[in-house]
Amino acid sequence: MMVEWLIDNWLKMAVPMVVFLASYIVGLWVRRVVSNAFERWTSRVRWQGSQLVMTTVHRPFLFWFLILGVFIAIQVSVVTPQVKGVTTKAMGTLFVLSLGWLVINLCGQLLEIYLPRLKVRWPTITLAKNVTSATIVVVCALIILEIWGMPTSPLLVLIAVGILAAALALRNAAPNLFAGLQLGAAQQIKVGDYIKLETGEQGYVTEITWNNTRIKALDESIIIVPNNRLLQFTVVNYGHPLKKAKEPFRFHSRTYIKELTGLKAKNLRELVDTLKKVPDSVVYYHTHHFLEEHHYLIPEPSNDFAVWVNDVLGEEVLGERLASVNTFEFPSLGILRERIIVIIEEHLAGGSNSREAIPGREFRFMKSVSLVISTPYVANDLREFVEALRKISLGSLYFHVFESRLRLGRGLNDFTIWLQGSLKEADLGEEIARTDPYTYTLEGLRSTFIQLIEKRIK
Amino acid sequence: MGHSTLEELRLIAARLSGKVIQNINSTFTGGGVAEILSRMLPLLEQLGVDARWNTIKGSPEFFQVTKKFHNSLHGRREDISAADFALFLEVSQQNIRKMELYGDIIFVHDPQPVTMVSRKKEIGRKWIWRCHIDVSQPNEKVWSFLEPFIFQYDAAVFSAPSFSHQLPIRQFLISPSIDPLSDKNKELSQQTIDSVLEKYAIPKDKPIITQISRFDYLKDPVGVIQAFEMVRKSIDCRLVFAGGTASDDPESEKVLAEVKEKAEGNPDIHILLIPPESDVEINALQRASTVIVQKSHREGFGLTVTEALWKAKPVVASAVGGITLQIKNKSTGLLSYGIEGTAYAIRQLLTNPEYARWLGQNGREHVRYNFLITRHLQDYLLLFLALEHPEDIIYL
Repeated sequence: MMVEWLIDNWLKMAVPMVVFLASYIVGLWVRRVVSNAFERWTSRVRWQGSQLVMTTVHRPFLFWFLILGVFIAIQVSVVTPQVKGVTTKAMGTLFVLSLGWLVINLCGQLLEIYLPRLKVRWPTITLAKNVTSATIVVVCALIILEIWGMPTSPLLVLIAVGILAAALALRNAAPNLFAGLQLGAAQQIKVGDYIKLETGEQGYVTEITWNNTRIKALDESIIIVPNNRLLQFTVVNYGHPLKKAKEPFRFHSRTYIKELTGLKAKNLRELVDTLKKVPDSVVYYHTHHFLEEHHYLIPEPSNDFAVWVNDVLGEEVLGERLASVNTFEFPSLGILRERIIVIIEEHLAGGSNSREAIPGREFRFMKSVSLVISTPYVANDLREFVEALRKISLGSLYFHVFESRLRLGRGLNDFTIWLQGSLKEADLGEEIARTDPYTYTLEGLRSTFIQLIEKRIK
Repeated sequence: MGHSTLEELRLIAARLSGKVIQNINSTFTGGGVAEILSRMLPLLEQLGVDARWNTIKGSPEFFQVTKKFHNSLHGRREDISAADFALFLEVSQQNIRKMELYGDIIFVHDPQPVTMVSRKKEIGRKWIWRCHIDVSQPNEKVWSFLEPFIFQYDAAVFSAPSFSHQLPIRQFLISPSIDPLSDKNKELSQQTIDSVLEKYAIPKDKPIITQISRFDYLKDPVGVIQAFEMVRKSIDCRLVFAGGTASDDPESEKVLAEVKEKAEGNPDIHILLIPPESDVEINALQRASTVIVQKSHREGFGLTVTEALWKAKPVVASAVGGITLQIKNKSTGLLSYGIEGTAYAIRQLLTNPEYARWLGQNGREHVRYNFLITRHLQDYLLLFLALEHPEDIIYL
């Protein structure tokens, strides 16, 4: 039966199959011709995406001819009109799906090539790919519904509602997204730049996402600035990071309270005898407290011994000698104390010890008790260092310059030690070490250091 | 105050988290101690430090005795009998029994409540005696009476180096302070200043010399009038002597009467008794002044000097107590030692307005860096922390 049926209808069977095979062969041929032509064209225009297009289109191209072959074969066959209609719609659907798949792939890969050139970050690229894919899927769905003669209005309404909901949800994010694209395109702010906002926030840019920019502040906290706000602010951009230190500089600060020893001297002999036995912290106090208490008034400080000898005892010559002791020249408090003792004893050796302070104006020996605290400020390079230097308290500046060198016995100020040791900035460290801090007000000293560092950065 | 300074205050205050600071003194109103505590406590609270305030109770007789102690510690001769000491101890015992001592750090101000430390053996805790008065030359009898109590404290705090003694306990120097935003120190409009002058019938036709202080012999009000009369021989000017009374000072009425008698018949001398809540008026009188005087025989610190300096006024003040910390002679004001010296300094300032202005500006800067309440607040925080650390350099 079967054989008889095939003998009777072989022509009806053969024609569609021949048509299908012909379509396949034509497809192979057309693909080769088109491929060659495309390659010739891309070799002229040197388009980076050519290989991508070729790879992506290669397989679907033949698939489309197979679909065409099936479609024509069905049309020339003797099947019923209903079957032809269903097959046509099915072929149309397959074509639309394959085309949609190809466009999604192609767009995704092209976005991956071109968006990074605009310095768009990965989260934004992913978002753009997703939006493109979703749009294509929706368009394909609409076309397929149209092919099958189904109503598209409900879907269109659903899409409109979805778009509206998305617009409402993203009404704040949208300006940030566009601002992020603008930041990426304009290249005015990049990851790694040190920026300072007009509102005071500053630090290195660590990340620019589709909606905000992250900044690592001087206290190592992360500041998140919406991209839209970033475009509205006046921003100073200092550019890329500078040489990093082996160890960060952690700023400390020092406050102090005055402790009374109960010891007093009413003449030079008592002064020098007591000075020999008091702890170093007493010597430190009487040669340094003026720096903080009267720094606004007289930049050149004078030690308490000189002031008392001059103002209370009226020993002007000795007062001048004591005032001329340059604290900056002494590497330790012990040597400084010895120098002051020698000067007073030389004076006493000349037979002058008759003057006494009136009651209530005796020299009172005091010391400072320092409390050292960590501040949040940390510097990894010169830019962070100089910006922190602008922000730290005068107590912090005082601690790293005066207290560390002499009272803590480090021999050099902390800034120089860090610049030379951790940052290998030997010359800058030397310049700062050479600056005599006793000849400046504390604010003046801060300005001087800032100028030296800014000059080095430039 | 800079942002970084405030940050540091918060960091230090955080170290006192969980501790209760109990302040004890003799009055909630009147006088420098009450004024400082009423300003300081809210600030400590804002920094997260639990600071509270109690006062001792006492009869008028008790406060007459403590006033005698006060004068004696300032070096004045006072007739203090055994009965006075006995009364002091009796009332103190009542306070010791009645007062709840809950603080981790008990901060006792001035001599009136000094005996509270007697409970230290029983309850422990850290005890600080804060002496606000000038004890540089105290009456030995009173000082010897107080010493056994003082020695029991963990630390004593004085307002000037010259007040320190050789004690077996730690001694700290903390200067008092002013609050620049308070009614007494804030900026005032010319209209306000004029209205206060009008209220007290003080014409603006001549330079005004002012002393603001309680009516107290230690403030030498009669000496101020004598100095003014010497100045007035060559320069036409007015004197304003304005002050109030404190509830723990029963002597002030008597002094006021004497001063009024001395000024009687001189229309250029204005003796004003200002009620306790008249800070804006005090402020206006200081701002209206050409020269401000503080001719004290003894002075704990002299906050009226600080207030005058903050208003950039040229100040002539006695070289006593804490005044010498505030006035660096010929740089931030003029120091004097007697009535003639005070009169001479006032004349110098009235005849050299540029010099007076320069001194006033320097004085304001000196107060800005050393005697505002923020510095005071920091000193107290450091004091509480230093009690736990005997070393000279403390790493927190």
